Amino acid sequence: MAVELRDDSDTGSDLSCPGSPSPSSPTPSHSRSSNNNSKRGQGIVDHATFDQLVDMDDEDEFSKNLVHNYFEQAQRAFGDMDAAMSSSDLVALSRLGHFLKGSSAQLGLLKVKASCEKLQYYGQGMDAAGQHSHISNEEAEEQIKILLIQMRREYEEAETYLRYFYGELPLPESPSEE
Amino acid sequence: MCTTSTTSLLQDSKTSSTFFNKAITNMSASSPILSTISPPSSPAMSIESDFEDQDETTTTTTVQQPRKIKVMIIDDNSVNLTILSRLLNKHFADTIQLTSVQNSGLSALDQLTKDEVDLILMDIDMPVLSGVETTTAIRNNDSHSEHSILEQNMKVPIIAVTTSDAEEQRELYRQVGMADCVSKPIAIPKLRMAIEEAMKTVSTNG
Repeated sequence: MAVELRDDSDTGSDLSCPGSPSPSSPTPSHSRSSNNNSKRGQGIVDHATFDQLVDMDDEDEFSKNLVHNYFEQAQRAFGDMDAAMSSSDLVALSRLGHFLKGSSAQLGLLKVKASCEKLQYYGQGMDAAGQHSHISNEEAEEQIKILLIQMRREYEEAETYLRYFYGELPLPESPSEE
Repeated sequence: MCTTSTTSLLQDSKTSSTFFNKAITNMSASSPILSTISPPSSPAMSIESDFEDQDETTTTTTVQQPRKIKVMIIDDNSVNLTILSRLLNKHFADTIQLTSVQNSGLSALDQLTKDEVDLILMDIDMPVLSGVETTTAIRNNDSHSEHSILEQNMKVPIIAVTTSDAEEQRELYRQVGMADCVSKPIAIPKLRMAIEEAMKTVSTNG
């Protein structure tokens, strides 16, 4: 049975709608509260994609190690982005955006992936949708400066969520649901 | 590891067995290494004769199961390589043998001068040599070195695995000789279908 595992939403908009597809009915094996994490994941992590990785876990904790590798990769990428920003290297910023987009997409990190794609486009002088625009390099840099702040925030949100997922952070007290 | 000995091909219950059989049969016909492999449609036979004029050595013929499809994956992103490797080993273990993992187009070209593969899964946006450039080099036997790409590898099916999957980009991939494009994040059914279709071209083109 074919299952559409990819979320085509590129806008980075909040996807915390009840209808968000999660065909695998994820039960995070590492979390303390699967219900809370499933709901918190909405908009941050596409569990349809992410759970495919968790499903491949053996005793080697494949998905956890993979996520940690991603954390390291992302930190290096952010450092490289800062350096490229300092030297106004839009080409490098675009390349870095694309690079991190791929692994973010593979982990189902929706917002990070969307922002990485915007960075890729801005660095090429395009608009957020990937259409050619007539903005100057300076304007593109300004957009990227704002975007990098947003991207870091989105990444930290994703990292925190994933650390909760793997039990590396204690779950905060959940407000009682109405 | 890739070897020239035959290995049993256990049909994945989720896949159509027909295309794999045809692809392997076709490869057998063209490859001296695989020429000892009988198509799976050939019945397994064990012949032992009691006739007096039988040569004292009895002849036993057992069916040779098709070997697995040897796959090379190429991606400059280690996270992506790890995921794809795991995916192939977990979900395609019955039919695919991951024989080569490369993190650049250049290293892939070098490897293709040495070892034969049956299928390549390739990222597109890579530094130095992109997936498009690497594919073009493979098709044109341009290994970027003094060695030639092995003849079989020049026609090997290549599937793009990428987030750059807009229609105009897919058309470019087709133009340079890629068989298909699978979007990231990888959906296993779509990857399976792309591999099936790509291997069909091997069976029909010889």
